[in-house]
Amino acid sequence: MTIVEPERTNLPETTGGGELVPASETSAESAPPLGVFTRPTSTTGWRSWLTTVDHKKIGIMYGVSAMVFFLVGGVEALMIRTQLAAPDQNLLSADLYNQVFTMHGVTMIFLFIMPLAAGFINYLLPLQIGARDVAFPRMNALSFWIFLFGALFVNSSWFLGGGADGGWFNYAPNSSVVFSPSHGIDFYAVGLQIVGLASLISSINLVVTVINMRAPGMTWWRLPVFTWMSLVTQFLLVFAVPVISVALFLLTFDRLFGATFFNAGAGGDPFLWQHLFWIFGHPEVYIILMPVFGMISDIIPVFSRKPLFGYRFVVFSGIAIGFLGFGVWAHHMFASGIGPMSVTAFSLATMFIAVPTGVKVLNWLATMWGGRIRLDLPMLYAIAFVAMFTIGGLSGVTHAFASADTQQTDTYYIVAHFHYVIFGGGVLGLLGGTYFWFPKIFGFKLSEGLGKAAFWVVLVGFNLTFGPMHVLGMEGMSRRIFTYSDYQGFNLWNLVATLGSYVLAVGVAMFLANVFLSYRSHKANPVDVGPDPWDARTLEWTIQSPPPEYNFDPIPVVHEVDEAWHLKYGHDEDGRAVRIAEMEDLAQPGDSVGVHLPSPSYMPILLASGLPFIGYGVIFNLWFAVLGGLLVIAGFVGWSFEPSDDPDVPHDEHHDGHDPVDGSDGAATNGHSGDGAEPTAEASPAGPSGETSQETADV
Amino acid sequence: MKLLSSLPRPIRRPAQLGLGVVLAVALASCGNQETYPLTTLSPQGKQADTIHSLVKPIFVIAAIVFVLVEVFVVFIVLRYRRRRDDVDGENEPVQLHGNTPLELTWTALPALLLAGLAVFNVQTIFSLEERAPDAIEIDVYGQQWWWEYRYDLDSDGEPEIVTANEMVIPVGKPVELNIRSRDVIHSFWIPALNGKMDATPGSTHFMAMQANEPGVYEGQCTEFCGLSHGYMRMSVKALEPAEYEQWLTDQQAPPEEPTSELAQEGLTAFQSQCAYCHQVNGLTSEGTYEAEGPVADYQGLDGAAVPTVRPGVAPNLTHLMSRERFAGGMFPLYNDDDTPNEAQLKEWLTDPEAMKPMRPNNQQGMPNLNLDPATIDALVAYLVTLD
Repeated sequence: MTIVEPERTNLPETTGGGELVPASETSAESAPPLGVFTRPTSTTGWRSWLTTVDHKKIGIMYGVSAMVFFLVGGVEALMIRTQLAAPDQNLLSADLYNQVFTMHGVTMIFLFIMPLAAGFINYLLPLQIGARDVAFPRMNALSFWIFLFGALFVNSSWFLGGGADGGWFNYAPNSSVVFSPSHGIDFYAVGLQIVGLASLISSINLVVTVINMRAPGMTWWRLPVFTWMSLVTQFLLVFAVPVISVALFLLTFDRLFGATFFNAGAGGDPFLWQHLFWIFGHPEVYIILMPVFGMISDIIPVFSRKPLFGYRFVVFSGIAIGFLGFGVWAHHMFASGIGPMSVTAFSLATMFIAVPTGVKVLNWLATMWGGRIRLDLPMLYAIAFVAMFTIGGLSGVTHAFASADTQQTDTYYIVAHFHYVIFGGGVLGLLGGTYFWFPKIFGFKLSEGLGKAAFWVVLVGFNLTFGPMHVLGMEGMSRRIFTYSDYQGFNLWNLVATLGSYVLAVGVAMFLANVFLSYRSHKANPVDVGPDPWDARTLEWTIQSPPPEYNFDPIPVVHEVDEAWHLKYGHDEDGRAVRIAEMEDLAQPGDSVGVHLPSPSYMPILLASGLPFIGYGVIFNLWFAVLGGLLVIAGFVGWSFEPSDDPDVPHDEHHDGHDPVDGSDGAATNGHSGDGAEPTAEASPAGPSGETSQETADV
Repeated sequence: MKLLSSLPRPIRRPAQLGLGVVLAVALASCGNQETYPLTTLSPQGKQADTIHSLVKPIFVIAAIVFVLVEVFVVFIVLRYRRRRDDVDGENEPVQLHGNTPLELTWTALPALLLAGLAVFNVQTIFSLEERAPDAIEIDVYGQQWWWEYRYDLDSDGEPEIVTANEMVIPVGKPVELNIRSRDVIHSFWIPALNGKMDATPGSTHFMAMQANEPGVYEGQCTEFCGLSHGYMRMSVKALEPAEYEQWLTDQQAPPEEPTSELAQEGLTAFQSQCAYCHQVNGLTSEGTYEAEGPVADYQGLDGAAVPTVRPGVAPNLTHLMSRERFAGGMFPLYNDDDTPNEAQLKEWLTDPEAMKPMRPNNQQGMPNLNLDPATIDALVAYLVTLD
């Protein structure tokens, strides 16, 4: 048997850790920093979390905050389902019910699923492209803190007069002060503005990271699909978030400063809000799903032990969905009265966006076909994702037909549809991703037994909750109604859905118990999961679990898509994979010292802390806004004046033997030399010096 | 079903079963107008029929795709599952990276299928927009949280009939609705007759409607419109053409003057308490009816402003008892034995907010006027004379 090994030099190149050079020698060599502006140094303990600029810690904080808000939104969901368990109940008043379903949607979309995906993206993206951090680590920390403070701000409305009560879509003019006199919608408008700012900052940061920080040899067609899809997501955010920001500004001015943008009686137009909201709102669906598509595309090959079938097709279909996603917004408005011409155009566009989505499903199935499928927890969730997302996708096609949609829109059929997409697709995929990357992030696996039990409970509970809603919708049950009457015939399936939601809650509790119990047993009896517990395919599995703060000892040189797999496996003449090495032997040891990393900073949290005060100021008393503004300015000033690098590291030592303008030297450091990997322009766009492509700007 | 028989043997039976179950649940369980008055699967009018004839094949195709994909998923998992005796690194799968012709095929096929269906999609969209030259026009006004209907029979711009909650139309005749809103966005939806259409302040939206059979067809506001959105209901009553003509005549006549002393007392109370907002056509300050009184002096299309207190901002009560429900289509006006539902009318006048969530302090909905029980008895005695 001839084993074909990929042609490559020995990797990783053992030139010793920490040869990286700082970004800007000039500024670092300036006078010692002013006393006030020294940077924090702790890398452990709670303080380190507040000041960290490490993308991994920030990713974990995103994930943990998102899970907390998942529980908040989940409690709201259970309140909704309990109210609707039987006809004519008033456990919640109509007023409270309207607040609860509004905040359920807002919380789950903006404060749970987006930040959870953001957590994964933050954590994994630099690892998957072979970088030490994101391009702008302080901005990364800033976007997390802005998100967290914005999220807390939105939820503080519960204690300051009640939550928003206009639905997450918050149509004008029902959102105006005359019709919603409480402050709830003010919190919605200002709070989502703050949260959106976080998304915007983070998306620009990550786009720059992927474009500029890829390891040598990591060409576009070698990017892991998760990174690809995350990149598409960041572009969607860059273009979609400004639209909702504009809409929210207009709403804020209408409500708080007497403007009339959406007041038909004063020259405004309620349609303006609808269009702006959905121009953001529809890409938002793909913002939620795209990273999950990427996760599934990474997980299925690992557990099928085959490469992704049609890698480029999957990537191109993701890009196609990203583009088309901006051209279908008015399918949320088929019953709004936009006229048959617009309806036709958006209806046709919506039908055809199903094509690239369907392509993905078929590619995933083709990846599994002929594989050797290991039904570990991540794979179980990935399969469940394919099965459930298909249902959401198909029900979506049924209301792409505009006339059919006029019977279905704003009924529980739609509620069923988007929960199959967002929970059956998004959440199941994210849970799969959690089980998959958990050992990488925390260094121990979650229990398989309890995990599988939780999986089945979640899957059954999910289908019991949202499956009956298809029927309820066809029976004519409207969305957003606080109760229904006996004669309408909705009793049976509402009861089933409510019981299902309790089952689902038990499943989520079992997942959380699994995290807790697995952690305890890991503490009592630590088991080393090794760098690569799943025999996986991408770069993050070539380093220790959890990864060292600096990620990679030397920056790896990439030769293949699925680099980690090709380090371990060649193939025989039939094309079957044949093991040629063990990751235990190949993995980077993670024992480098003195790797130069950006220092922690107080400034991101300081700057972000001003924003909620500005929010309270706009709503209650402008003096708060002055306080908030001062905090923001203090943050900016501190940001600008803090030393641009860690003053304790004597930089000059690192420059021995390196000429920063000598390109060949830089390339050698990064292992470019003579291995056939093309040091492409994309991989080192920073100019002749290859090393700068790996630099993390201290911004 | 022919498609299914081409499946591999082990999954053919579950596939057939699955498809059967899906279609059964989808089409049978919720298609019964009696049990499910709002069902979308039992069309009773021309437009709803048109929509349904598009929905049916789509559901069937979607169900087939659904079953195929799900069965395929299960099949692949069972067929290619890692066996206990498999050893990693030995006899591993072929590392197949893709197959461009295959992928192009499965991109093109669904696109072509959808392109075919798109023809019917577009046809349906435009056929629902068709206008009949002899259609009966009805102006539909949504407001928090009830619907008003205005019939301008002589097309002079002034309605002859103003009614609420229950729209009356003749069977078999084309009807055109001009849907408007007086405050926030609502959506008019009678599933048995047509899909929904938003009522948006500042715009007039068109909807065609034509009932096949006489009957009462239920509806529900389907665009979230604030506090009592769930309690904003309506219905369409389709009458035989002759009965419809009779209804038009009856509606244009003033109600019979109350005869009992209690109802007379009620009329006086109505004038002092209710007439600020509720109109009874032709009611004079002397408590008599004149035939040619103004029917509606309130337009209330001043955009998003909350209406001020004036006659006509609340449902027109001239022929209250000709309807089947009150308070935004929520509560029956008649008991099962066809006697007036005085109990709930009294309850309503005693504390409207207890029966339907409203915000009268913000001029959203009917205020509690703190009437004493005797006045309420008199008022109800008067209201039930408004036939």
